Amino acid sequence: MQIYLPIAEMSLDALLLLGLGGMVGFLSGMFGVGGGFLMTPLLIFIGVPPAVAVGTEANQVVAASVSGALAHWRRKNVDIRMGLILLIGGLVGSSLGVWLFTFLRSIGQIDSVIAISYVLFLGIIGILMVVESARAWCRARNPSAPRRKLHYHTWLHGLPFKMRFRRSKLYISALLPLGIGIIVGILAAIMGVGGGFVMVPAMIYLLGMPTSVVVGTSLFQIVFVTANVTFLQSVNNQTVDIVLAMLLVIGSVVGAQIGARVGERLRGEEVRVALGLIVLVVCARVAWTLVSTPDDVFSLGQIGGHG
Amino acid sequence: MILFRSFLFILFLLTFSSLAQSQRLAVDLSSSEVEISTGFNGAELLLFGATGGYGDIVVTVVGPRRDEVVRRKERIAGIWVNGSSVTFKSAPAYYRIAASKPLDDIASSDILDQLRIGVAEIDLVTQSPRPAREILNFREALIRNKKRLLLYSEDISDIKIIRDLLFRSTIPFPANVPTGDYEVNVHLFKNGKPVSQMTTSLPVRKVGLEARLYNFAHDQAPWYGAIAIVIALVAGWLAGVIFRRT
Repeated sequence: MQIYLPIAEMSLDALLLLGLGGMVGFLSGMFGVGGGFLMTPLLIFIGVPPAVAVGTEANQVVAASVSGALAHWRRKNVDIRMGLILLIGGLVGSSLGVWLFTFLRSIGQIDSVIAISYVLFLGIIGILMVVESARAWCRARNPSAPRRKLHYHTWLHGLPFKMRFRRSKLYISALLPLGIGIIVGILAAIMGVGGGFVMVPAMIYLLGMPTSVVVGTSLFQIVFVTANVTFLQSVNNQTVDIVLAMLLVIGSVVGAQIGARVGERLRGEEVRVALGLIVLVVCARVAWTLVSTPDDVFSLGQIGGHG
Repeated sequence: MILFRSFLFILFLLTFSSLAQSQRLAVDLSSSEVEISTGFNGAELLLFGATGGYGDIVVTVVGPRRDEVVRRKERIAGIWVNGSSVTFKSAPAYYRIAASKPLDDIASSDILDQLRIGVAEIDLVTQSPRPAREILNFREALIRNKKRLLLYSEDISDIKIIRDLLFRSTIPFPANVPTGDYEVNVHLFKNGKPVSQMTTSLPVRKVGLEARLYNFAHDQAPWYGAIAIVIALVAGWLAGVIFRRT
């Protein structure tokens, strides 16, 4: 069933889009991740202009994160103070990111920058995940091996503007969460992701937050930051396709529920290794588009139009 | 659809058989516009007409003109990124040519050049300071890419002439057809000379929900963005409520 997408200005199979949403939703439900980092490259692979894929995906992540954020809010798993500082950084970063996006688009470099960002971040995160899970797996088999210290004291803890975060039981510089927020905001704008895959590890390893509040606090930040990206992309680039977003949302909410149920039956390490491998596969696929010789080295790009 | 077209054609045959004796050219399209709605997946229009006696027909369809950027990818540090680019001023977004015979058999290339008939004749102007040879590469790349997208085409011998009186041709529009005002030009040649010409305008536009959303997104972008957020928030929240109950 073909459906014409008014902003992408192309016709795609509605069932394919629902299926895509369902599949990514399933994986995101199973692994407890947003799924934006899988959806955006997949949309680009099926021919959606990269700029539209990124703008629309930000809109979809708003829908994908809000119910989780509300659930964690009710269970008081949100460190509001930390969340607000991450959010301030996120708003600054995402506004900066959309501005950068608009500029890169005008000089015809946005497609490459999106692809390079994906390769870089997916590569780093994928490798870290696989290595970390392999270590955990070794520890489980050999419990006498010395445990790694969870919390290091580094120069990061010498930064000024220290603040007390009661919910996280931390006394650290506000510049840290602010900086993380800014970086995640830029990524959200340029890659069309929530940024949880960067923020969650940063909160655990860099800030040393207790895992109980990490997911809720990051979802809290993601809802507002992706909403900001949706708004700014709509205003600056007109690249948010509501019809496309809705089809993806419908598919992904159903998929996420099934995925969450399957995920409960799996072991933590297995899940993380599997997710790490998926991340690396997507990374390799995007990297291939960058290094392989294109069929035609010339391409069309309209001024003010798509990519 | 085929039945409907045949009906139109027969109707047309009856109406114009008397006109056929004169030297005039009459043309019409099966639809006065192309409408892009939710289920749009390309369209095909029937062009039909009467020649008023023996002759050859050449039809060109020219889409709305706008600036088109052609970019060349270059390999930098192992990866392919967009390098130099050339902007062609007011290039037609769509160009199609159909003829009743190979063009060489219809008229001399000088005449065809004058009438700007043929993909090679599309006027693509640029102010780029690059050397002419390089510009030519970009020009060829523009045409090649447009052909790949089915937006430029040369389909010679696509026009059927019936008893030297009537002709018919189909004009295909792919799903990615750009919107705007199109121009359908029909040229009648006799013995290698252009004797008659007719131009019809053909709007291609989004209609219904598609048009409304597109216009909303472009004319009232802040509201569009705000509504996109509200819809996403409600959809996400609703999904959470529904699935928590089950």
